[in-house]
Amino acid sequence: MSVEPEPVTLTIDGKEVTVPTGTLVIRAAEQLGIEIPRFCDHPFLDPVGACRQCYVEIEGQRKLFTACTTEVAAGMVVHTQNTSELAHEGQVANLEFLLINHPLDCPICDRGGECPLQDQTMAFGPGESRYIEPKRVYRKPIPLSPLVLLDRERCVLCARCTRFCDQISGDRFIEMFARGAGQQVAIAAGEDFRSPFSGNTIQICPVGALTASTYRFVARPFDVHVADGICGHCSAGCNVRVDVRRGEVVRVLARDNAEVNDAWICDKGRFAFRAADGPGRVTTPLIRERGLEPASFDEVLGRVAEWSRGARVAFLTGGRLADEDAFALSKLARVAFGTNDLDHRRAFHGGLAEELEAASALRVTYRDVERAGAILVVGLDAEQEVPILHLRIRKAARRGARVFVVHSRETRLSDVAEHLLCRPGQEGAVLERLIEGGAAGSDEERVARALRTAEGAVVLAGSLLAEHPLATDVALRLSRRLGAGFALVPRRAGDRGALRAGVHPALLPGGRRLAVASERAEVEAVWGELRSSEPGRNGREILEACARREIDVLFLVGVDPLRDVPDAALARRALENVPVKVVQSLELGELEPYADAFLPAAALHEREGHLTTWEGRSQRTRPVRAPAGLSRPDWEIFAGLAEAVGAPLGFGSVEELREEMEALLAPREVSERPTAWVGAGVPQWLDEVTLFTYPLLVDEGRLSEGASELKAALEEPAFVEVHPEDAERLHLADGGWARVRTGAGEATLPVRVSSRVAQGSVFVPFNQPGLEANRLLSGRFTAAATLEAVPGGGEGARGGEGIAGPEAKT
Amino acid sequence: MSARREDRGTVSGGFGATLKGLATVFRQVFRADVTEEYPRRIQPPPPRSHIGRHRLNRHEDGLEKCIGCELCAFACPADAIWVVGADNDPEHPVSPGERYAKDYQINYLRCIMCGMCVEACPTRALTLTSAYEMSFLTREDAILTKDQLLEPPAPLGTAPGTEEG
Ligand code: SF4
Ligand code: SF4
Ligand code: SF4
Ligand code: SF4
Ligand code: FES
Repeated sequence: MSVEPEPVTLTIDGKEVTVPTGTLVIRAAEQLGIEIPRFCDHPFLDPVGACRQCYVEIEGQRKLFTACTTEVAAGMVVHTQNTSELAHEGQVANLEFLLINHPLDCPICDRGGECPLQDQTMAFGPGESRYIEPKRVYRKPIPLSPLVLLDRERCVLCARCTRFCDQISGDRFIEMFARGAGQQVAIAAGEDFRSPFSGNTIQICPVGALTASTYRFVARPFDVHVADGICGHCSAGCNVRVDVRRGEVVRVLARDNAEVNDAWICDKGRFAFRAADGPGRVTTPLIRERGLEPASFDEVLGRVAEWSRGARVAFLTGGRLADEDAFALSKLARVAFGTNDLDHRRAFHGGLAEELEAASALRVTYRDVERAGAILVVGLDAEQEVPILHLRIRKAARRGARVFVVHSRETRLSDVAEHLLCRPGQEGAVLERLIEGGAAGSDEERVARALRTAEGAVVLAGSLLAEHPLATDVALRLSRRLGAGFALVPRRAGDRGALRAGVHPALLPGGRRLAVASERAEVEAVWGELRSSEPGRNGREILEACARREIDVLFLVGVDPLRDVPDAALARRALENVPVKVVQSLELGELEPYADAFLPAAALHEREGHLTTWEGRSQRTRPVRAPAGLSRPDWEIFAGLAEAVGAPLGFGSVEELREEMEALLAPREVSERPTAWVGAGVPQWLDEVTLFTYPLLVDEGRLSEGASELKAALEEPAFVEVHPEDAERLHLADGGWARVRTGAGEATLPVRVSSRVAQGSVFVPFNQPGLEANRLLSGRFTAAATLEAVPGGGEGARGGEGIAGPEAKT
Repeated sequence: MSARREDRGTVSGGFGATLKGLATVFRQVFRADVTEEYPRRIQPPPPRSHIGRHRLNRHEDGLEKCIGCELCAFACPADAIWVVGADNDPEHPVSPGERYAKDYQINYLRCIMCGMCVEACPTRALTLTSAYEMSFLTREDAILTKDQLLEPPAPLGTAPGTEEG
């Protein structure tokens, strides 16, 4: 976007370094490996110079300068504490000053042992304090939210936390109040720090002023085992560090990776870490005899192989498989069972866009988003679905990008973006108008022009686009027209990897089409001849076939169709009718009465593997502990099963498996085909409204099990969001109750009247306490609905307690 | 090194040294015996000696001095101490302040009695006693829990292997 800044050369402690103009002295020193003590400076936040710790001497200047706010200049000669007595004295004096009001809390402080204030006092500070007067005291920790505790006595007023909220998340809940010795971080009375990024402030606080309720007094840095992992909660692919004490996960921290998550993770990634240690975890293989009884792996795999021999087999997976697992499954289904009935998807985009995403990687990256001149977000609520992408879009906006959102509901980008609200299913039509340039004088015309004239535009398409056939391809076509980058942004951590690996009825690894002989042949060269070249059934069709008893053995790998599939009734019918159900997962949950065999899988932090981000970046995750009990990584179970049916997959180690993956998953070119947009099939509305749903970040999902503090802080009970005009027409009042009816069922929910939602549509979250919204759906994430007010249900509507159990009728 | 080798080589030097050694042995024969008949007769160790098992102390009001800070565990070169901190219930605090030790164990199969933990303790909660009898019949017995460490040690002569033990 901009021209590369001129390089300048300066001298620090006698060493020369050349850096771009505008670089801060503290960064230039880092490049030379010279450490200057600091508290307020953070590489991803704007400089403030609040703590005065980073004093350096600059030749020719009379006073000391703060290295974190001073930009380099050509020929500048800088002396840090290493070569300047003055700088050293200034730093010592400042540390003594900071410690005047700092309590002697180290023994009871969670930061003890990994505290920048402790460390820098030891390294750069005075040995003793001369201060003997009483220190300032405050009430010990005040909870800013159920997750974040503030101990004001310990605060060094560096403003990292408040700057994070200001500059990065945009959730301005905490502020600096007062001045002088009384200055403190504070939150408005009665407010909660309700930001899904709040945990980052804890991690960047250079002292123990902000601590996590989940980690309070739990461990010290020397008694945890740590490993570098990848967060498995969404497709953002945040780099994390997982801490385990005595075999139990006690903390998750962000690792810095400027290509992916900068230095941030969302609160779900940080605080939802107990699912694999919960009471529901099953770590022994089970087989149904009289009841579900423990058995050995060999025994269960043997029986499953016996049931599947010559039978009609299908595989459904969830979104949490690692890349290796997905690849092994893709091969298992096709080579060992000769079936193409396998699917990982909840949203069926189909078309060219999906094929492109399957074939290639890194066509649009976080960096591209960050540097884009304009960003068009379609059918995606980034904050709730892929939170770190949301932060990147905000970063781009701060750098001047124009951001537009086409969605049925206003997102938290609203302060930096312009929203074009439309009824669900209409996104394709809006995009089509953008392609044509928009009607004269309309918003669309303005947006189209902004997109066309921007340098480096990016189109980000979310799963809600899959609600309309071909809408995704229209988004792709729009991006082509604009010369913009295009990415399909899936929600779940394993989605992109599974698509790349071909856990898909029509696509083989690398997006090769099963039905196209030349593309199939490339896979057959590695896997041997495939028994069937007919595309199989997609996820929904698999369930329908199960319900009709056209499938004999259904494998459910890390998926619970009763909860995950947008048609609870169909899922139940399928489970009731398919003769054999094999569950492979961390837990049985609601599938317990159905499972005929259970194969325990290892959790993400218990195994080696890779996860692919929405960009297509495959990142390695390492185990921090051994698999619990007898559980095994999914791919090993698949390999065992293949062996049991007498068709070994041919890899005995992750290395061999990866070799084969690399052969088949190298990025490929996909031949361009025109995409068709027929404009037909746009639903016609009468008096009713369109209900749409997508999962919110913190919900009843199984990976958030046990995350009670996170849920207390951020989980909302189920609600229905209605536009004011619809509310008036339907006689619904904010805070009142509505009976929501669809073709699939009905539920009584508290009403939120809000112009955040597009007129003519109502939003219900997918899986909040009080409603599993898939009971209202029949195969799509949208449904025609009718709403009527339920009188007298008004009290306690927002409290959650008052929610009358959803009377779902099926 | 080389000088000594030469020493040994001379006849007079070697013989003189032998005589000196024999004299030492001879004198020792007439000295009083310092061997103690432990465990048949047990001498009390000198007062204020810190040669034995740890003890967790209490404040005068009965609250535990230990705040569960884990500094002792951090200092321990033998990784013998296990501490789990927790939040005090303000109504029924276990120790003064916010934090207390929910669990505290010392493994005497590991402890080398170096006393580093005592030095690290910021609250003087942890001290050494003179209960030096460290014999146990099982591994479990050798790991003392917080309840045991809060109590004074059993009198000498009661450990396994002694007459009463
Ligand atoms: S709470 Fe921490 S991050 Fe915030 S100003 Fe105080 S010391 Fe800095
Ligand atoms: S943004 Fe996604 S990947 Fe990152 S921490 Fe949150 S859930 Fe995990
Ligand atoms: S005395 Fe030494 S070895 Fe024993 S627990 Fe204390 S620090 Fe560890
Ligand atoms: S004994 Fe002392 S050092 Fe050990 S946890 Fe208790 S207070 Fe801390
Ligand atoms: S780090 Fe430079 S003023 Fe704080």
